[in-house]
Amino acid sequence: MKDDTPLLVARGLSRRFGNFLALADTSFSVYPGEILGLIGPNGSGKTTLFECVAGIMPADSGTVLAGRETLPAESRKDVLYFMPDGVRPWPDQTVRWMLRFVGALFGAHDDKVERIAMELGVDRLLDSLMGELSKGEHKRALLAAGLLTRQPLLMLDEPFDGLDLRQTRDVMEVLRREAAAGRTLFLSIHQLGDAARICDRFVLLSGGRTVGEGTLDELRAAAAAKGAKATSLEEVFLALT
Amino acid sequence: MRSPDAAARRGYARPWLRVFMKELHELAASRSYWLLLLIVGALVGHAFITATSIYAEASGVGGGPSALAQGLNPMSGIVVPTFGAYDLAATLLFPFVVIRLVAVERETGALMLMLQAPLSLRAVVAAKGVALIVGWLVAFVPGVIALVWWCLMHGHLSTPEVATIIAGHLLRGVVTIGIGAAAGALASSAASAAIAALTVTLGTWALDYAAAARGGVLQTFAAYTPSAALRVFEQGELRANTVLVMVLIGVGGLGVASEWLRTGRTLVRRCVGVGAVAVVVAIAAFASSRLRMSDDVSEDRRNSFSSEDEITLRGIQQPLAITAYLAAEDPRLTDLERGVWAKLRRTLPDVRVVYAAKGRSGLFERPGDHYGEVWYVFGDKRAMSRSATEEIVLETIYSVAGVRAPTSRSSTAYPGYPLTTVPRFASLVFFVLWPLIVFAAWWSLRRRPKTRRANPSLRSG
Repeated sequence: MKDDTPLLVARGLSRRFGNFLALADTSFSVYPGEILGLIGPNGSGKTTLFECVAGIMPADSGTVLAGRETLPAESRKDVLYFMPDGVRPWPDQTVRWMLRFVGALFGAHDDKVERIAMELGVDRLLDSLMGELSKGEHKRALLAAGLLTRQPLLMLDEPFDGLDLRQTRDVMEVLRREAAAGRTLFLSIHQLGDAARICDRFVLLSGGRTVGEGTLDELRAAAAAKGAKATSLEEVFLALT
Repeated sequence: MRSPDAAARRGYARPWLRVFMKELHELAASRSYWLLLLIVGALVGHAFITATSIYAEASGVGGGPSALAQGLNPMSGIVVPTFGAYDLAATLLFPFVVIRLVAVERETGALMLMLQAPLSLRAVVAAKGVALIVGWLVAFVPGVIALVWWCLMHGHLSTPEVATIIAGHLLRGVVTIGIGAAAGALASSAASAAIAALTVTLGTWALDYAAAARGGVLQTFAAYTPSAALRVFEQGELRANTVLVMVLIGVGGLGVASEWLRTGRTLVRRCVGVGAVAVVVAIAAFASSRLRMSDDVSEDRRNSFSSEDEITLRGIQQPLAITAYLAAEDPRLTDLERGVWAKLRRTLPDVRVVYAAKGRSGLFERPGDHYGEVWYVFGDKRAMSRSATEEIVLETIYSVAGVRAPTSRSSTAYPGYPLTTVPRFASLVFFVLWPLIVFAAWWSLRRRPKTRRANPSLRSG
């Protein structure tokens, strides 16, 4: 699964809001075809990191590389697509309109749009206005939109937030299939249990700093090196932060 | 690695067209736009009914005395007042439609998704601009209905005049789009943007007032406020500088929006981008304002001297300096400005006016202040006239310039087009039928299946 050449590398990303340091010299790599989890508690800087990597928010310092070449903010959209959490786009339009628009924009045929809508259980919501959807429905509609994009790397901010147990399981299944088809996924998740179930590797973020990166085994080893005996992702996270 | 941009360039997605269609959908989903259409219909209807009624009265309807036929001009009497409703709409209604299309996308987070679309932000903002122009043109339907009605009543219309006035209002809309887009992008919320846009409008009104009879830079700026620029078109004059400056304000506003909405750039870079757009627009506008090309498309040639006078005046190459001891609120100054000096500016290579009156009203000028005098100066030769009559002013100029006045002037007198007919049932059309059409269009576009969970097929939409 893990290719030696990273698809994307972030080096030393920092971002400050006034006196608050949201990101401090954050670095990590994303490898092709993997599902990478960005793990951290609320306020740890996950969304800021995603927005800086996506080029939607400027970082104060640091670089993002595609392979070995620096990727300017304007060109990030050639490599990755970021679906933010907490946005409520086009509230006066229907889900059908939104999916068809995003699909058409990125060259996805109606068949694909229909398939993804069905897989995520959005097909029943097609005639609902985006502004009328519940949190979970809205989340799935935007996930469907994200899956219609074509960039090799898809970054999803809190993809399971607002979903119930069954919906979370279904969405994970869809995401696994997407990764199996060759797409790289980078997921920001604050529920460690969800992260452990779907991610191949993890980037642990705490207080805007990367405190660990690797597979669960690699992170266990890092925790052990610090003298902590950790088995689950929760224990590893607590040991390293 | 496959780049979506490269793929888009190959044309499989035609992304700009998709975004343009999306903007039209967003416009159609905007209640403020439908409200604009509704109110514009009522305003145009009221203006048309009032204008035709006054025109019929002046033409002698009901056996009353008719005005001189030459004074009955459909452009001034019907077209300008009917389309005047659009100036009101462009000032007080259309800015909200523009702001909604720009600011709401940022407020809802849709901008974050559009920033990642396979086309540049400039192209996205341009799509918004073009969609808004289309929306503004759709709002012209009541005005066009009024003109067609006038023609059906056998009223006279001059195509170049009508085209010029419609072009003026179209460009007025473009200016509003520029101001609204810039405000929508720069302000923190749609409400703040609305306040900012209205502040700009009030500022231009203040500039109009302050610049009257002041001359200099202030008057140069004031010539391009939306109201002043529109007046040029309403006079049946097509000026290259006015057209270009209005287009530049519109495009510049969209440029400011596209620079400021690049949230991935640092604040400094965004400020530099906005500043660069402002500087480029200012330089281009200054260069455009120097252009003197213009065409008098009015049927009564109200913006031109007789052809003999124009030939004589074009032979004068010296700059003409005019010193006017007339206050801003003196009607003689208005008559001279609009009736004579505007024509002189179109004809002579260099005309400069110095406004020498001290007060604004002229009520408190002292005898030694030369109040009422207007001096015409060519080099070291000068002459004074107190008249606002075109023929007398021209005679004064010819005598100072040392050229012989034309011995005869061709008389192509404007015939005038009296019409005593008034539109019947116009109230029904503009106040009942038009709102019903607008409501039906809104309803049909907003209609969705009643069952929220039904009809899963994507193709059915």
